Amino acid sequence: MTGTARLARAEVRKLFTTRAVPVSIAIAAVLAVASVLIDAVVAGKSGAHALGSTAETYRMLKLGGLSAVVMLIIGILAAGGEFRHRTIVPALLATPDRTPLFVVKVAVVAVLGAVFSAVIFGLGLGTVAATLAAHGIHNLPAQTGRLYLGSVIAGACFGMIGVALGALTRNTVGAIVAAIAWAIFVEQIILQAVAPSLERWLPVGASLGLTNPPSASVLPPALAGLVLTCYAMVLLVAASVTTIRRDVG
Amino acid sequence: MSAITISHLTKRYGPVLAVDDLSFDVHPGKVTGFLGPNGSGKTTTLRILLGLADATSGSARIGGLTYRHLHDPVRQVGAALDSNTFHPGRAAAEHLKIIATATGLPHRRAAEVLDLVGLASVADRRVGGFSLGMRQRLSLAGALLGDPAVLVLDEPLNGLDPEGIRWIRGLLRSLAAEGRTVLVSSHLLSEVAQTVDDVVVLSKGHAIAETTLSELVERSSVIRARTTDATRLVDVLLAAGIQVRLVDGGTVEARGTDAAVIGLAAAGAGLPIFELSRHDQDLETLFFDLVHDTQEVAA
Repeated sequence: MTGTARLARAEVRKLFTTRAVPVSIAIAAVLAVASVLIDAVVAGKSGAHALGSTAETYRMLKLGGLSAVVMLIIGILAAGGEFRHRTIVPALLATPDRTPLFVVKVAVVAVLGAVFSAVIFGLGLGTVAATLAAHGIHNLPAQTGRLYLGSVIAGACFGMIGVALGALTRNTVGAIVAAIAWAIFVEQIILQAVAPSLERWLPVGASLGLTNPPSASVLPPALAGLVLTCYAMVLLVAASVTTIRRDVG
Repeated sequence: MSAITISHLTKRYGPVLAVDDLSFDVHPGKVTGFLGPNGSGKTTTLRILLGLADATSGSARIGGLTYRHLHDPVRQVGAALDSNTFHPGRAAAEHLKIIATATGLPHRRAAEVLDLVGLASVADRRVGGFSLGMRQRLSLAGALLGDPAVLVLDEPLNGLDPEGIRWIRGLLRSLAAEGRTVLVSSHLLSEVAQTVDDVVVLSKGHAIAETTLSELVERSSVIRARTTDATRLVDVLLAAGIQVRLVDGGTVEARGTDAAVIGLAAAGAGLPIFELSRHDQDLETLFFDLVHDTQEVAA
């Protein structure tokens, strides 16, 4: 087995030998199913779109944001947790060349993000299909496949962004609080109100172009994917420079 | 070739000089104590040696190579820097298996080293529930995972009870007897005195002693002499190149010599001797005097 393959297996082992990742996946799965069922219950009431309508089905399929947030946190824990718990010390003693160690960690989290998002969206999609079928509706909107792919890409990107933030800050709590504060307060509340055309170019706004059906307020999916990937790459380059250069321990 | 070579190593953190032109060698087949008070630069030196930090200047090499250039470092160097390098939610065995996976070691090594350090019964317990002594043992298990020829241990006796100290003392001595290189850092000479063969003493970032433990103890013993004219005896001994100090009007203390030399020098000067005795400093006082004294003990 090559050194890279061994490192990758070690990184996977790290992710699944503590509770954070399995519990996060389980919670996300429950939330995905629950959100679809709740949407189905309130559909057609108090001004909501009717169950089976395109708009309502798209609403039920807004699952990409859930997996993106979870992967952001998992990415932060995967990198920042190494410094918080000082497991970075045995990691570097085993693999003193920091570049492959960092690159493999990013790659593993990105793959996990893609797989996880695919599973969560698939679970939600299956619940949507079953719920609609129970009401005699057997059609899914045309953009369903695109939303599925968009969620997978968003999950992978936010996983990488999480790794970058965790490596940059070396502080899991700080990084998670800052990321959530940015996403909710800066992007969704402030900029959405004062500069919506700017907000869609920022990370959360760009991800909506991947996970939401097309509209004037979001970027086209291909552009959204490119923008989000660029954010991930820039943050990763910044993180790799600091992680590779800084003293540890 | 020395197993470990520290050569003119300097590390500066902004205005703080943590390691100051430090040079020493560590040889195989011995346990070398790397001693110094807290903040003297021991851990910084070890971190540089293990590739966790960069030197400002100078070098720290193992077998002639820096740690980052070692091929398969875990199989060559085992390091235990502190007992807090574990995820509390992860089992002890899993921690070792992760290292084994990353380095291509067989997973059975995890069970073997856990058994060696006495943690086999708690292999599947989460490290968060471990005591300090258990975490120290787990840290040592990680260092032994690759069966390395060189061991670098930072304060390995911290948190161990007397039985644990005795156990690790025996383990380190047996590893050295196998021809391995063992470098042990500590801030307490008395703690490692029964374990080490050679010592390197650090103070304020530079070495003030690099010698064997027995020589260090020998050189630090004092010969006390009482006479009628201590000042004259001091002059006679200083003229003979003996390190001596005046304790009071009638007493002198000399280092690095023996009672016969003092007695003969006094007799040659016509000075009567009322007391001539040898006093070995206790190790704590020895260590304290070393790190706070301006005089260094050369090898």
